[in-house]
Amino acid sequence: MKRKKIRVEDIGKGRNEQLLTITGEDVMPLPCAPENGDCQQPVRPLTEEQRSGYECSLDGVSAVGIPKPKSKEEEDRLVQRFLDGLRKLLSQKDNWTFWQQLVLALENCVRCQTCSEACPIYLSSGKQEIYRPTYRAEVLRRIIRKYMRKGGGVLAKVTGEDIELNWATIARLAELAYRCTMCRRCAQWCPLGSDNGLITRELRKLFSQEMGIAPREIHESGTVQQLKVGSSTGITPPALENIISFMEEEIEEKTGKKIKIPFDREGADILLLHNAGEFISWPESVEAFAILFDATDISWTLSSELVGYDAVNYGVWYDDVQLVRIATKHAQVAKELGVKRINVGECGHAHKALLVVADRILTGDLNIPRESALPLLEDLVCNGKIKLDPGRNDFPVTLHDPCNMVRLMGIVEPQRRILSRICPQFREMEPHGVDNYCCGGGSGFAIMSSMNFQDWKETVSGRMKLKQILEAFQDVIDPGIHKYVCAPCSNCKGQIRDLLNSRGAWENYGILYGGLVELMVNAMVDLEKPFIAWEWR
Amino acid sequence: MILEACEIAGAANLLFWNSPRQVAESKKGDRIVFLYIVVGIYYGSIAFCVIASLVRLIKFAVAPIHLRWEFYRTSSLYELSDWWARDHVRLVDKLKPVVLEILFLRDYYIRNRGLWYFLFPFHVGIYLLILWHIWYLVLPMIVNIRVDPFWGLMWGHVATVLASIGGLGILVKRMTDEDLRAYYPSIHYLKWVFILLTLFGGFYAVHCCLGASMPSIEEAEIGLYPPSSIVIHALLSSAWLIYLPFSHILRLFFRYYHHVRWDDVPNVRGSGLERKVKRLLDQPVRWSAPHIPHGRKWEDFSSEREQGTEGSRNT
Repeated sequence: MKRKKIRVEDIGKGRNEQLLTITGEDVMPLPCAPENGDCQQPVRPLTEEQRSGYECSLDGVSAVGIPKPKSKEEEDRLVQRFLDGLRKLLSQKDNWTFWQQLVLALENCVRCQTCSEACPIYLSSGKQEIYRPTYRAEVLRRIIRKYMRKGGGVLAKVTGEDIELNWATIARLAELAYRCTMCRRCAQWCPLGSDNGLITRELRKLFSQEMGIAPREIHESGTVQQLKVGSSTGITPPALENIISFMEEEIEEKTGKKIKIPFDREGADILLLHNAGEFISWPESVEAFAILFDATDISWTLSSELVGYDAVNYGVWYDDVQLVRIATKHAQVAKELGVKRINVGECGHAHKALLVVADRILTGDLNIPRESALPLLEDLVCNGKIKLDPGRNDFPVTLHDPCNMVRLMGIVEPQRRILSRICPQFREMEPHGVDNYCCGGGSGFAIMSSMNFQDWKETVSGRMKLKQILEAFQDVIDPGIHKYVCAPCSNCKGQIRDLLNSRGAWENYGILYGGLVELMVNAMVDLEKPFIAWEWR
Repeated sequence: MILEACEIAGAANLLFWNSPRQVAESKKGDRIVFLYIVVGIYYGSIAFCVIASLVRLIKFAVAPIHLRWEFYRTSSLYELSDWWARDHVRLVDKLKPVVLEILFLRDYYIRNRGLWYFLFPFHVGIYLLILWHIWYLVLPMIVNIRVDPFWGLMWGHVATVLASIGGLGILVKRMTDEDLRAYYPSIHYLKWVFILLTLFGGFYAVHCCLGASMPSIEEAEIGLYPPSSIVIHALLSSAWLIYLPFSHILRLFFRYYHHVRWDDVPNVRGSGLERKVKRLLDQPVRWSAPHIPHGRKWEDFSSEREQGTEGSRNT
């Protein structure tokens, strides 16, 4: 039976009704065996206790964990705060950081819906209206027209663009701001340059900077923890020292090489910034960097200073103030060490935040040259600075393009040139490059897993990527053939790990994932044993 | 989206050349008053269009610079390890996709072919109409050329027919395609009807009044009487002129030249851009969430020791 189409104005109606329930029949089919297909209810319903405590009337999912207001007065107060925040969002003084982009994105849209066909979430969900890239933008436009302009109420009725601003609208809109990965594929496709990803970000900003509403994983456990203890992972400087010692031992165990990972080396050429998630979840990536740099004459160091050993800057996804705090801290650490430049390792959003977005935050001696690790790695491979044997990587490899590095920074070719040199069975996903699909973990989703959000991101936001991976390996899908998804981004790796795990892709298809540097070290001729351990982690 | 622009010149010039002076000779006083009103409305709408457009352009031009948020169609300088020492994208390289986009609507051709089939003839028609007005009505005012009436009529009609076919197709597609109907304000359907009426009106005014022997400017100045169809066309065009500053034509301008999409201009130490950034960082931060202490400036966040450690959720 065909569902009733959800309209823009529905967002403010039916306070306690759920606008959408995703079923297994809705979602886009995957090219894999039926035993791994979706059940009727791919996103587990929240428990009664969760439902009574948290807002979930958008789609039965709680990503943000917004507590339900206790009274009508509290609801009214929150509505008022939303309007206060909206005024600031539309003010050049309060929102100089993104005012131009926001206003253009709001005004440029001609509702041609070209962007809809670009959005992996909209497509993967079976084209659910609320996930259409323009849905939340249209809600915001209507609110602005009605509540921010004189005579807006009358005009809204006359033009048929009415909307009610109440707590239901705001709570659903807050959740909706976390149903978009900000991959900005829609913006790339928009013939008029309207950026729905930016509208998503600015909505998140309004909620965070004015109302104090943000997912715990991104704010309290994310930026706040990073600024307080040094890393969003919770790793403190003393803990880091232990981890690094362990890595040095592991390197020796794996390669026989005694390598001292440099820390706080003043005057080094490069301060290497890793996503601290690598230290915990993928230490082999940090080890691989150390092995590669040790094999060359690169002058480099890590930092043990607070924030200086964690490249992440979640502020770029939701909050300008936190973005500024972390970006300047990164620059201060580099300045104090006296390094010539900052090199960002395999972390997409850290690239975008520090190299591009922070460019107009850092001034004077904080404006230190900042670069991606990929060109440096390309130089090692393509200019023969390390000896590599492609035969050691003679297994199918495909490449995931992290949105932040590729579409949003134009770093497209170095990783391809490296893989072409060292992986004889390298094959592209389709589409790829600047037209790539997000892994589904972008804009913080990879680290968000509260309540039933994990189900949602595995079922919906990451579905297109899973489809791409499976299709890339269709000709070698036999689990006996080891295959490798190369994802040179920490958050993407986390999301791809969860996606593959949800389908048992290692057991069923022999698909493993990892970064780029692991493949490089795996191909080094002076290593006796393969660096890549073919085991699930 | 550029329809509005082309309609300006047609009605303006026809009214101009059929000035009230000639009407006065017809001894029809009421007609004179009426025509003065029409001319007033018309030139008033031009003035309004210019002033309102300038106000909007200036509003964007003086807006504070923003943080960078570009995206890329292909490889960028960030693929180089010393990108900060290289020349960034030249204006001519930025303009290339712009020209392709304006002339051929390339993005629509690639991403939304169904709509492109109608958008393209519509835009080509509009471009031809703009050129027609320049060629047939404006140029003779500036240089001494005589335009062949037959080709003038043909060009104008072909352009109008193309724009009308495209416009009608867009309207029908907008009404019948479920995706295109989504969120399209009802009032915008009326806009398309109005566009088509203006196009049909222009066609009728030129064809029926000037006929196959369309007069030159000199002829028009000497004796042409302004028929009602031209007056109506002028009034419709005036409405477009008033709407123009709020339409997509200005947005189109910003689409290509605003420093947003493909800006790619780095902040260099000691540059004018850096000075602007410093001034903005000196602004107070007035957001109210618990992790943003009251009375701070942006630059204060870079010097604080205990930073952003307050929790967020306070609902």
